[in-house]
Amino acid sequence: MEIALAVPPDAVFIVLTTITLLAAILALQAKELIYGAIALGISFIGIAGLFILLDAPYLAMLQIAIYVGAVVVLILFTIMLVRREVGEEVVERGERGEGAAGLWIAGLLAVSIAGLAALAGPNLASTPPAGVLSVSELGPVLVTDYPVPLVILALLLSAALLGALMLAKVER
Amino acid sequence: MVNVPTTPADILPFIISIITSHTFITLVIFPGMIHLMLASAFLTWYERKLLARIQLRIGPLYAGGPGGILQPVADGVKLIFKEVIIPYKADRTLFTWIPLVLIFLGTLPFAVIPFGMNWVIANLDVGLVFVFATTSVFPSMIIIFAWASNSKYPFIGGLRSLFQQVAYEIPMWISALSVVMLAGSLNLVDIVKAQSKIWFIIPAFLSFIVFFICIMAELERLPFDLPEAEPELVAGWYTEASGAIFMALFLALYLKLYMMSTLTTVLFLGGWWGPSFLPQPVWTIIKTMAVATAIIIPRAIYPRIRVDMLIKIGWTRLLIIALANVFITLLVINSGVLSAWGL
Repeated sequence: MEIALAVPPDAVFIVLTTITLLAAILALQAKELIYGAIALGISFIGIAGLFILLDAPYLAMLQIAIYVGAVVVLILFTIMLVRREVGEEVVERGERGEGAAGLWIAGLLAVSIAGLAALAGPNLASTPPAGVLSVSELGPVLVTDYPVPLVILALLLSAALLGALMLAKVER
Repeated sequence: MVNVPTTPADILPFIISIITSHTFITLVIFPGMIHLMLASAFLTWYERKLLARIQLRIGPLYAGGPGGILQPVADGVKLIFKEVIIPYKADRTLFTWIPLVLIFLGTLPFAVIPFGMNWVIANLDVGLVFVFATTSVFPSMIIIFAWASNSKYPFIGGLRSLFQQVAYEIPMWISALSVVMLAGSLNLVDIVKAQSKIWFIIPAFLSFIVFFICIMAELERLPFDLPEAEPELVAGWYTEASGAIFMALFLALYLKLYMMSTLTTVLFLGGWWGPSFLPQPVWTIIKTMAVATAIIIPRAIYPRIRVDMLIKIGWTRLLIIALANVFITLLVINSGVLSAWGL
């Protein structure tokens, strides 16, 4: 006997969006940069949850692996190596007003986008949903429908990989 | 769906129906929490006993049971009642919360790892990527914990751990790619099902070697235990951990050891397949313990390698072998050699 989850998807969406937005605000506002990096990671996980809600689990997993597993690590690494000594007192940075101004601008932007969507949304021509692609169908679609972007991406990634290898192999 | 009870008489059947449901049993009892806690506790005893036998010692003996098998219980009780010492000016919040997050991350991959045809919590289509995604969060948590201890040895250990795990993650992913190509799926249950005739260790032997070296480095086992090099760094990134926090970290580390062993079994050693006189989960656990033994034994034999050797092996040798192996696997699949085994 299976116990199905009786949670409406809207509630999940609201919770995930709240977590993502709050964590993003915290990432900007945190006094201690480490907390900012952790908040950024939580925000990325929230976005991954949104991807799962949109029936794209593969994208969600890669979001966690690449953004939380690599980008946050890079940020942490930079913070720890470049900034102050461990345990030193936190130095107050800048005016408190700067962050608040950014928040106001972001809020205005969000409200205007929401207004536009509310005005224009009902009038837009409705497109049928593209249908959920499983992971095994993703590969054929990439190769048949989008070969040129795929090749360009592959070249870019190979160039990045070779460049990293060249940097790592510099003779001293 | 189970009907929510309305009268008092319905409550007991409701509770029983929940407890006997497949979801509850897989979550809480068998591949779930109870089994994981017992397995990781048992692994600590197993490692100590095995290393002692290799080094001609006796190992745990007096804690009760055959061969002192109750030693983990005694250790757990001792560590819980010990004082938790938090270093001066350490970040208290992170120092106490990160061990719990690490335990969470250690248990999460078992949600998709199958122990038998039906013994899996969630049959996820992207199971392998899920496992890799959760393991890739480990290094950032470790470096945050090391930073939060506010002490130089943990910080050096944490940085080393970060270097090592990030460097060896990539060859690990790429070497698992040949298994995905052979099975034609990212679903771990489908990967095991594809091995019913031939284990993937045979067609993908080179990737097994690369994968095994990478999990040794990911688990910070000798010869790759630079992050916790005792002669240099006291105990590496968990030097300042004590009492219950130390126990939580150790639990997370042994959960990760068990998880990586199970993953190797599922990817390369045919998962639950075996002669049918034993049930499927037993075969999975037997193979997992064999892999765990192979991971533990080098600790008693080999010295550790230098940091520059470690990084060089990871980025230049293993990565290239793993990439070349992808093409070798493609050739093997397209040549039709494996068609006799239905691949």
